[in-house]
Amino acid sequence: MSSRSASVVLAAHLALLSSISFGGFPSVLPDVHNFVTANGWVTDREFADFFAISQVVPGPNMILMMSFIGLKVGGIPGAVTSALATFGPPCVMYYTAYRLWDRFRDRPWQQIVRRGLVPLTIGLVIAGGYVIARAADIGWQNALVTAAAMGVMLGTRLNPLWALMAGGVLGAIGFLTPGE
Amino acid sequence: MTQTIELGSSIERVTLASLFLGFLKVSLLGFGGGLVWARRIVVEQRRWVDDQEFAEILTLCQFMPGPNIVGITTCVGSRLRGAVGAIAAVAGFILIPWTIGLSLGGLYLRFAHLAVLRNILGGLSAAAAGLMIATGIRLLMPHRNRRAALLFAALAFVGLAFTKLSLLVVLLGLAPISIAVAGIATARAS
Repeated sequence: MSSRSASVVLAAHLALLSSISFGGFPSVLPDVHNFVTANGWVTDREFADFFAISQVVPGPNMILMMSFIGLKVGGIPGAVTSALATFGPPCVMYYTAYRLWDRFRDRPWQQIVRRGLVPLTIGLVIAGGYVIARAADIGWQNALVTAAAMGVMLGTRLNPLWALMAGGVLGAIGFLTPGE
Repeated sequence: MTQTIELGSSIERVTLASLFLGFLKVSLLGFGGGLVWARRIVVEQRRWVDDQEFAEILTLCQFMPGPNIVGITTCVGSRLRGAVGAIAAVAGFILIPWTIGLSLGGLYLRFAHLAVLRNILGGLSAAAAGLMIATGIRLLMPHRNRRAALLFAALAFVGLAFTKLSLLVVLLGLAPISIAVAGIATARAS
């Protein structure tokens, strides 16, 4: 397969996945992984590295990760089409859904639905933080950093960037890896 | 722009440039969880929407496919300035950060094996997790007097954090019960 047609196949697959990625793009990552490795475009190791890097670089993480795959498959044009396929279809859907939602804003049924659903969403956000904390957890030092960052955000007006920087510096000096 | 007048009673007209720049900032700062920054900038700094409405938009996005932060960007842009607003916000969120990210990423791939980089990444993740939890707690504050809301937030948390259930299963399982309880509470209050 030429790199150009490979890019098109990849973009079509990503567009499909992004349209069904309920619960965010990470939920379809396993499928992306199978698809690109089965096609021989990306190795396991590369896939893991793409993920790690997309998490370190600021910006739209999942869009970037898909662009790294596109870059590997078809150069810059591949990266661009992968990015578009990842965020284009959901954007159109978000826009349409929000318009509809907004139109019925004052209906009593919508207020009830909102009162029911919003707490669930918030619980999921907190769970998301908890899951990341557990994934990074290799000792009490990590838990301490997580708790400190929480404290900074809830108890002070400090920019959260300071908490992130402190975490990065503590990691760099080896504070978080006592076993090594 | 009749739309803006209809919707934004208390909001002054937000310029497209400030939408672009606001979400550019969300994107560039959004390491390890764009949600933290989206809420901080949209709610606290620019006061484009309040905590309540932010949580509603987030809820809508949770039930839709795609990257949630892009959804928040689209909805806030649309809320303030309609379709052009959505485009300006999404462009701000993606255009420049994507270009920087792709270039940096290429560079980074060469050094990804270095232990010190892995350690830094670990420290950043731990702090990012704390910020994420704090953001959730902030969003919960407007609902702290509703016992049912606290209960269902806790159930959703437990469902996702301590079971192997997928997000969709947790949401679809709890949503009907939570809505029913809210319906009963509303009926009683009136």
